Amino acid sequence: MDLTPRHEVEETEDVRQLIHRRRRWAILAISVVLIAALAFVTAQGLRNATLFFRNVDEAIDQRADLGTSRFRIQGRVIPSSVQGEAGVTTFQIVHECAVAAVRHTGDPPELFESPWIPVVLEGRWVEGESKTVAGADSHYFRSDRMLVKHTNEYASANEGRVSEKPPAGFLDDCSFEVPVDSS
Amino acid sequence: MSEVATVAIGWGLTFVVIATYSFWVVSRGRTIGRELGIGEVQQSGQEQESDLSTDT
Amino acid sequence: MPESMDDSKMTATPLTRVLGILGIVAGVLMAVLGLFISPPDVVQGEAVRMLYLHVPSIWIAYGSFVLTSISSLLFLVRSRRREDGGRHYDRIAGSAAEVGVVFTGLTLITGMLWGKVTWGTYWQWDARLTTTVLLFVTYLGYLALRRLPADPIVRGRRAAVMALISFINVPIVHYSVDWWRTLHQKASLSVGRRPEITGEMYWTLLYSALTVTIVGAWLIVHRYRVIRLEEIRDEENLKMLISSRRHERPTGSAADGEVS
Repeated sequence: MDLTPRHEVEETEDVRQLIHRRRRWAILAISVVLIAALAFVTAQGLRNATLFFRNVDEAIDQRADLGTSRFRIQGRVIPSSVQGEAGVTTFQIVHECAVAAVRHTGDPPELFESPWIPVVLEGRWVEGESKTVAGADSHYFRSDRMLVKHTNEYASANEGRVSEKPPAGFLDDCSFEVPVDSS
Repeated sequence: MSEVATVAIGWGLTFVVIATYSFWVVSRGRTIGRELGIGEVQQSGQEQESDLSTDT
Repeated sequence: MPESMDDSKMTATPLTRVLGILGIVAGVLMAVLGLFISPPDVVQGEAVRMLYLHVPSIWIAYGSFVLTSISSLLFLVRSRRREDGGRHYDRIAGSAAEVGVVFTGLTLITGMLWGKVTWGTYWQWDARLTTTVLLFVTYLGYLALRRLPADPIVRGRRAAVMALISFINVPIVHYSVDWWRTLHQKASLSVGRRPEITGEMYWTLLYSALTVTIVGAWLIVHRYRVIRLEEIRDEENLKMLISSRRHERPTGSAADGEVS
């Protein structure tokens, strides 16, 4: 075995290994950051994702448990119920024939204007007399965040205007009548 | 932000991202090819890779 | 090689050149169809035009990740038997994953913009959005793993295992809108359900998907060739290093084992 030193080559070898090692550290660091990001995202997801919102009927059923805690509620906006003044919009949302009166603070997204649009509202139940198409209620929903939950239905705007009627079958089993919007 | 502006930004961004990535891929290929000298690339390509390899 | 070597041929073949030109032409037509010819939506108005970017992008990403998974599986099986270790499949896996990550990123960006004008927010941690960002991050991790210096076969096996694990999330992303309550809408098109989408929009969507597929395929093929070139370069460097040692010490053979 020849053991005579080979300085030049060894030097390049050292440099190569140094670069190698540095690169490995850099990549390990990136991996750690990525795993941390992953963990954060998973935690966020687990907290919020499984129950992103309660439908109106569930939110009413669980009213006692919910108390004044903050949650998201989902329902379709009854077009004839919408009234707006000075940054406050009041309207009613309906799901499975359960109706909730809503008092929303803030500017609604543009698509809120669309009749029977499903919305997700963030806020809480507040005690107070309210009247809905389904009758009187002891609570209303005070919301300060509105998200429009648009559907996967698409139709050409050229082929006619937005239907003022609720989606087919949506209110069929309900005991109440919804007044048609005159506007 | 208006609908039209959003659509313009979305489409613009998408086309720019795809174009940039394509350009990066092609230019990286050129750079390495130039380092090697394209003749060698073709030889090695033929030796070891027939299905998807470089131009012959 | 003559001085005036044609650089553009570096990773191109006549077939991919045709594919590339087709992709560009199809992309222009896609923009015309998506931006001008297809109608605005009755509810969303002009914002619906994001559909033609957002949905095809994630389809191609899914497709790329499927390709990555199949190739990874084939690599795991063949890396034991073949002489070259089946590295061909490792290259396909790597290039498809990178293209998949690019299109997942585009899905996220277009989705955020679309969300801002329709939902009224760029981001919500609902199940679909959360799982999609997870998909993006895991495949980024996969690409990082591929860059860790190691023996090519060992690295390829590690990457292949991670690719197969990462793929579990793909069906979760897709079905998240059915399994959980999300702000995100249900799937735009799914087997066995009548599409809730008007003719012109439907065809524009399918056409866009075809265009993005062509572009994606072109990118994967070229990326594959670049990976191959990188390998050849590394092999050449290795050969040069070894031969420089041999040159210095013609009798030696110990150097071979050291360099890897």
